[in-house]
Amino acid sequence: MSTSGRPERGIWRDTGADADDEIACHLEMHERDLIARGLPPDAARAEARRRFGSVESITRQVRSIDDQAARQQRRTGMWTDFRQDAAYALRGLRRAPGFTAVAVLTLALGIGANTAIFSVLNIALLRPLPYADGDRLVFVWNQHQGNTDNLGPGRMLDLRRQTTSFSGFAGISHLSYTLTGWGDPERIAASSVSSSFFDVLGARPLLGEPFHAGAADPAAAVLSHALWKRRFGGDRAIVGRTIVLNGRPRVVVAVMRPDFFWPSITARAGASPGPELWVPAGAGDIPRNAVDEDRDMTASRNAGYLRAVARLKPGVTPAQANAELAAVGARISSEHPEDGGRTAKLRTIREQFFGPVERPLFVLAGVVTLVLAIACANVAGLLLGRGAARRRDLALRRALGATRGRLARQLLTEATVLSFAGAAAGLVLAWWASAALAAAAPADFIGDQPLPLDARVLVFALGTSIVCGLAFGAVPALQLSRDALSGALSEGSARASGTRRAGRARDVLVAAEIALAVVLLVGSVLFVRSFLHLTRVDVGLDTRNLLTFDVTLTGDRAEYQARQVQFYEALQARLTRVPGVRAVGAAVTLPIGGDDFGTSYLPEGVPAPAAGSEPRAGYQVVTPGYFAAMGIPLKAGRDVRATDTRQAEPVVVINEQLARAAWPGQDPVGRRLRFSSDTEWARVVGVVGDIRHLGPSTEPRPEVYQPGSQRSFPFMAFVVRTETDPMAIAPSIRRAVAELDPALPLGGLRTMDQHLQRSLSKPRFLSTLVTGFGALAVALALIGIYAMMAWSVSERRQEFAIRLALGARGTAVMALVLRQALVLAAIGIAVGLVAARAAAAVIGGMLYGIQPTDPSAFMLTAAAVAAVALAACYVPARRALRVDPVGLLR
Amino acid sequence: MAGMSDRSTTVDLLQGTLATLILKSLSWGPLHGYGIARWIEQVTEDELLVEEGSLYPALHRLQARELVSSQWTTSDTNRRVRLYTLTERGRQQLRAELSRWDRFSVAVTRALQARRPSKAV
Repeated sequence: MSTSGRPERGIWRDTGADADDEIACHLEMHERDLIARGLPPDAARAEARRRFGSVESITRQVRSIDDQAARQQRRTGMWTDFRQDAAYALRGLRRAPGFTAVAVLTLALGIGANTAIFSVLNIALLRPLPYADGDRLVFVWNQHQGNTDNLGPGRMLDLRRQTTSFSGFAGISHLSYTLTGWGDPERIAASSVSSSFFDVLGARPLLGEPFHAGAADPAAAVLSHALWKRRFGGDRAIVGRTIVLNGRPRVVVAVMRPDFFWPSITARAGASPGPELWVPAGAGDIPRNAVDEDRDMTASRNAGYLRAVARLKPGVTPAQANAELAAVGARISSEHPEDGGRTAKLRTIREQFFGPVERPLFVLAGVVTLVLAIACANVAGLLLGRGAARRRDLALRRALGATRGRLARQLLTEATVLSFAGAAAGLVLAWWASAALAAAAPADFIGDQPLPLDARVLVFALGTSIVCGLAFGAVPALQLSRDALSGALSEGSARASGTRRAGRARDVLVAAEIALAVVLLVGSVLFVRSFLHLTRVDVGLDTRNLLTFDVTLTGDRAEYQARQVQFYEALQARLTRVPGVRAVGAAVTLPIGGDDFGTSYLPEGVPAPAAGSEPRAGYQVVTPGYFAAMGIPLKAGRDVRATDTRQAEPVVVINEQLARAAWPGQDPVGRRLRFSSDTEWARVVGVVGDIRHLGPSTEPRPEVYQPGSQRSFPFMAFVVRTETDPMAIAPSIRRAVAELDPALPLGGLRTMDQHLQRSLSKPRFLSTLVTGFGALAVALALIGIYAMMAWSVSERRQEFAIRLALGARGTAVMALVLRQALVLAAIGIAVGLVAARAAAAVIGGMLYGIQPTDPSAFMLTAAAVAAVALAACYVPARRALRVDPVGLLR
Repeated sequence: MAGMSDRSTTVDLLQGTLATLILKSLSWGPLHGYGIARWIEQVTEDELLVEEGSLYPALHRLQARELVSSQWTTSDTNRRVRLYTLTERGRQQLRAELSRWDRFSVAVTRALQARRPSKAV
């Protein structure tokens, strides 16, 4: 037996054939032995097989063992190659610290920005909701004349009874309570909810047990985790104890978990930080009146103060349920003409919570993706430039036997190592940036949740860095490994052709960067101009030196109803006497950021329109002096007066919009209108200027003002016009209120300017971010263009030297360089403008006072980018002049 | 060979013992699978029941663990056979197994030969 032969370690080929051979050999040898011992051939064969066992099964086992081992070995081999390449790449990067720093920083900015924005998206759109099977929860709304409306209790009851798509249905109304005892009195945002509320949500408490459908103690209260921590110090013995809300005892039955949130939802906007307290509503599983919690409104069909949340039955899709709601809603309306032709519709919980922020978030995601693309183009250019310098090295390795694939893999590994380093630095940036984002984001953007860098965000960062590594590594890897393929160790034709190819790739990168920068800049300019328009809008009132706060009267109902009017008058009088106060007034809802009450009305002398299609107006209740304090001009007639009492004739003040809508071209003063829900007529005594009640971005609408002395509410918002800085006299205001009623908490104490700023916070947030990223993009593009032009000039030094030696003027050489840059810039700008035009259509709905196709924005951007591109070329072009012809040519 | 001896007295192999026997069989030099089977048969005088085929999965597993290596060679009769060789790792493994086996068998023997149960606690 010779022992020479091919070794079987290393890559095993055709293991199956080997196994067959080996086993056949065994059987043969055994058979031969047995024959030698005297067995007849047939018996020998049978005995050998019997002793061996099942040939097929053993062959199978052996093959699978060999295959597995082969796979393992391949993996180990690739890992070893990768480790070698990575170590080699790291050594190379350490040798070029300047290159490495620029590349890593560029990538860190791109990946960091993406990761930070992704962490917002993650919270808003991807994270599971803190409810059992939360994606089966929907909101149910009235659909009325194209608008989405709150539900009235009677109508909600009918919708709940007559639909079959839902396994649970709960109503919610928002109110606030004064919590007394346990320290200073405090207004707490609360919800009065159906007893089925927690069952429908499938939310588990931290402590105790919340109330359940049909089994709610009317005096029960459930606390949020935040309220429990803040007011009760996280006392675990709180369950079963009594707290005092609006002067009435309530028993705490449960504390919710910290991640439980239930934002306040309005029909118009999205979600904002929610209530901190839940109490069960009245009978029939329907909340009592939100405004007046003691009045059972079950019989009321259309007093629209309810939000409804419902759970889809298993197997029912939102579309099916929506179709049923529309049909049932319309049928109910045909049986109840007073429902005014309303239908019903649903929105999934994600649409409701995050729908309004989805678009801005996707715009931001698009913006940071473009930033990352620029960063990648930059690094690709840097690698290309570096690779050009390493061409000899690569050619040498090729000559020593490395395959083209092996070289390409090594270059890609280098890019991957670089992008992992960029991702690591980017994560640090993202960690910092997402904290800043969470602090700066408006409350209705992502609620008041923290932005965790959870596993999903980390996976995103990792994935992004791998994709980036491949994206910017692919160009140089293909390019340079091909150059190396031509195998020239000498400086010759191969070098020239390689240079030409690298130059082409570089030109494409420069043009692409310019195009991307144009897209981002156009977006930035549009957002900034839109935001400037918003800040310059005249909202119709003087917001300077105006302090606002709200008060809510509590206590025994019969007693305080009689007292309300006197109390507000007394408070207004007392506030007027505070030094530094110029004027005082109060309204039931404040413009800009306050609540929004609406009413339908009928002008006298006009034929009554069909039920449900009456004209609508904003509804306010104001005290005498309110208009003056707010700086809303009185255009005709008079202000409301203290003498407009319940005993006197009902009066209203209207704004110019309503005057125009109801009595076009006529004097409205002295005419009458009535609210559709009333039978009594009210006389118009005055006309005031229009204001933008809902904020700068919403046009003024018809408004009607009723005197507080004729229709009082248990809560009012006060406005105090001051001589100087309003916050400076806030303490005196507090004292004045406390003198009148020490148990009365002041809510929402802030200036009208702050209200205005808050209403602008979302557009400001967006325009700041988009502009910031736009600036970052331009800076990155500037660096990239500079680096690539510098490289281009350095490669053509010899050519320039010849030109200069032959007598070319310096300016001509410089013009040559600039012309080349200008051509690239022109191509990039042209492509960018076309792309920006398409992108602007997407953001059109988010702009105010400017068209997304605004030509000046595009022209401004084109000029700016051209200037930046030329500036980036200027220094390299100057350097082209300074070549020493003699030295270079020698 | 003892021929078709009565196998009612043979014992099944303990888990892992086959691998150790294979390593031991290779400790004097390279062998092919059939040679290993014959060696086990001879030294145990047919006391241990080995389904010969089960040698091969064991051999290939040992090769995957790099305890043995193999080469194809040509035999005197001009037949291609696969020879297994103990690697350095295999030799170490065999030493470790032998010392483990010694301790194990001494302990079991001691227990089985004990005369009287020790005093109850």
